[in-house]
Amino acid sequence: MKNIMRQFYHAFLSEFRLVKGDMGVLIFFLLLPIAYPIVYSLIYNPELVRDVPIVVVDNDRSAKSREMVRQLDATQGTWVKGYALDLADARRAVNNHEAYGILEIPEGFSKRIARNQQGEAVMYCEMSLMLRYKALLVSSTDVMQSMGAIITTERIDQIAPLAETISNGEIMPIENIQLGNIEGGFDSFVMPGILILILQQAMMLAVGMCGGAKREHPERAFYNPVAKKPGVFIAMLGETLTYLVIMIIPTIYVLHYVPLMFKFPIEGDLLQKFLFILPMLFATTGLGFILQGIVRERESVFVIWVVTSVIFLFLSGLTWPGYAIKGVWRFLSDCVPATWGVEGFIKMNTNGASLAQVAPAYRTLWLLAGIYFIIGYLVQRFVQRPAILSGLKNN
Amino acid sequence: MKTGFVQIFKRSVLQLVRRPIYWVGIFLLPLFCFLFLSSLMEEGLPKKAPAAIVDRDGSDISRQISQTLGGMEMVDVVANPNSYTEARHLIQEGKIYGFFLIPENFEDDLLAGRAPQISFYTNMTYYVPASLLYKTFKTTAMYTKAGVASEVINNVGFTSDPTALLLPVNIQARAINNPFLNYAYYLCVSFIPGVLQLMILLVTCFSLGQEIKYHDSTRLMQLANGSIIRAMAGKLLPQTLIWWVMAIFMESWLFGWQAYPMHGSWFWLTLSQLLFVLAAQGFATFIFALLPNSRLSLSVSALLGILSFSIAAFSFPMQSMYPALGIFSYIVPTRYNYLIYIDQGLNGIDIFYSRWWYIAYIIFILLPLPFLRRIKNAFNRPVYVP
Repeated sequence: MKNIMRQFYHAFLSEFRLVKGDMGVLIFFLLLPIAYPIVYSLIYNPELVRDVPIVVVDNDRSAKSREMVRQLDATQGTWVKGYALDLADARRAVNNHEAYGILEIPEGFSKRIARNQQGEAVMYCEMSLMLRYKALLVSSTDVMQSMGAIITTERIDQIAPLAETISNGEIMPIENIQLGNIEGGFDSFVMPGILILILQQAMMLAVGMCGGAKREHPERAFYNPVAKKPGVFIAMLGETLTYLVIMIIPTIYVLHYVPLMFKFPIEGDLLQKFLFILPMLFATTGLGFILQGIVRERESVFVIWVVTSVIFLFLSGLTWPGYAIKGVWRFLSDCVPATWGVEGFIKMNTNGASLAQVAPAYRTLWLLAGIYFIIGYLVQRFVQRPAILSGLKNN
Repeated sequence: MKTGFVQIFKRSVLQLVRRPIYWVGIFLLPLFCFLFLSSLMEEGLPKKAPAAIVDRDGSDISRQISQTLGGMEMVDVVANPNSYTEARHLIQEGKIYGFFLIPENFEDDLLAGRAPQISFYTNMTYYVPASLLYKTFKTTAMYTKAGVASEVINNVGFTSDPTALLLPVNIQARAINNPFLNYAYYLCVSFIPGVLQLMILLVTCFSLGQEIKYHDSTRLMQLANGSIIRAMAGKLLPQTLIWWVMAIFMESWLFGWQAYPMHGSWFWLTLSQLLFVLAAQGFATFIFALLPNSRLSLSVSALLGILSFSIAAFSFPMQSMYPALGIFSYIVPTRYNYLIYIDQGLNGIDIFYSRWWYIAYIIFILLPLPFLRRIKNAFNRPVYVP
């Protein structure tokens, strides 16, 4: 027993030394999770799409049409850049990427309103980005409602007092309440998920690179070929401890300080969040042991693993919701630790769920950790160990 | 020993064929991503977002609302919780993405003119389902309101068009060239070239770094008779040809098989893909020239390649970013691929309006030329820094 503990301790120390001496690995373990969240958060930090430029083709030229344009300009989402002579002129501005929408007000707009009919206008939206379309749509709806409410009240006043119930204002107010990310900002929506993905990917890349480093320099692996010590499993445990110890600081920073710095919604209990993320780190380490099987040199990990970030992003259900992921992709998505990590962390951090409420994700993470450690053991036993051994012989 | 361009070309082809990692990096991963992204988002828009109705009233009207909502295409009513708290717990557990709340005594209050409030809650921690639910909930609420209002108006003997009374001003928002708001168009046509760019950056830097790492670069320079231009051309041209095939395949995959909107000229779109490959290679060579070291150049490539997906402003517009960051969206080739697609594919406008994007490609292609001397020095005196 004492012997095993000593082996474990030495495996831990030797792996720690290897990591400490390898700039590449350190970059993944420390620099990546510290720098990336800041860069990403800064990109999206303006949160909302404001003042999308549009041009107006006003064929009505009335007080009402001008009022509508003024109100539109005053909304958060739209900025009236100017007037165009006709639709062709307006198209030119859009084609030139100077404006992203055209408001066309037809002749007779104000007359129709005066005649108690509906005044219609059209907002043509250039569709290069969904968020710009959304901003224009929300602005138009707001103006429709605010202008409409005044005109409706005026009209009802004319036929009053019959419609007393309506003239009191709203007969049935409608209210939308945004939960979790209450301001509906883009940064606060996307970043909590990205943070978890960054943790997983940083750890995967670092562990993968450690494997490559050992293949290139087998003497740096902690293994005594004569005594055949330590055993594969003990070595794995020692290495895991190294990785977890190193990840303590990045994890605290990413889960706690980044949301603080960028004012993301912070709900839930901090300790519970750490407890929740622990099995994800284990599962990721296990996956890293598997990855080591195909990383023959330190640099190949870039070519093989970096692009998976894109795949995992989509599998996580962040951009494309989980309920719409079907079939084989559903299965693949379930196999990725970050899918569960993202799901659980968002629920806890943004929606204020407790650890008990995310129990299914939590249990799955432990299950994945177990499975990946078993497969990782096989990879270490039958691929990585022999590779290091033959490397030692060749030296 | 035979020297010259042809020899280098042959040698590069052999290097590519012999190492599995090139097969993985050039074919396997990009093709997997093409297939994955387009088949994942086959529906175009995720339909049937799980939602709930909290009906505290249990009256005719409230049941009618529930029915209307249940019939909507975009929602799937999966639960009927009894209270707000229960519904909120369902949100926290991720079982629903939003809910519709009809208060107690809703019908009585409505008919008595006490203006009861209908509220709907959307979980904005997930943008796409929340936006879809918002739209559906709002429409349902508006229908209900219009129905009730026209009844009230008719009861008081007012006969003219109730729509005009309730909605005197109507601004129709028309989504040009994407009327059904297909979300996959954007994600696929931006992320798939993004993946291609990432892999071009990584494979280019990797293959150049290998020369230095294994001290093969001196032999490469001998074969090139000391000319770095010849060495680089022979080294990278085989990759260019393969990437071109991949890029054309990507184009046919997206706009042929997947039938994403293509309203413009195939010539310009194809030219864009070919120049895009060269631009990405030029960009990678530039990175390698500045940092002629395997690991550093790969790190920078990975960083920029992954950051491209955000900084190139496919989802959050560049105009809304901080100017100091937004400016960086211009330094990645994949942004121009996207802009050209929007102009030439989605909107099908005159090539004149896209002229700058093509010029940007050419700048990327020429970018490494002044710095090739640095690669030459590194190749002649290879030092592997781990």
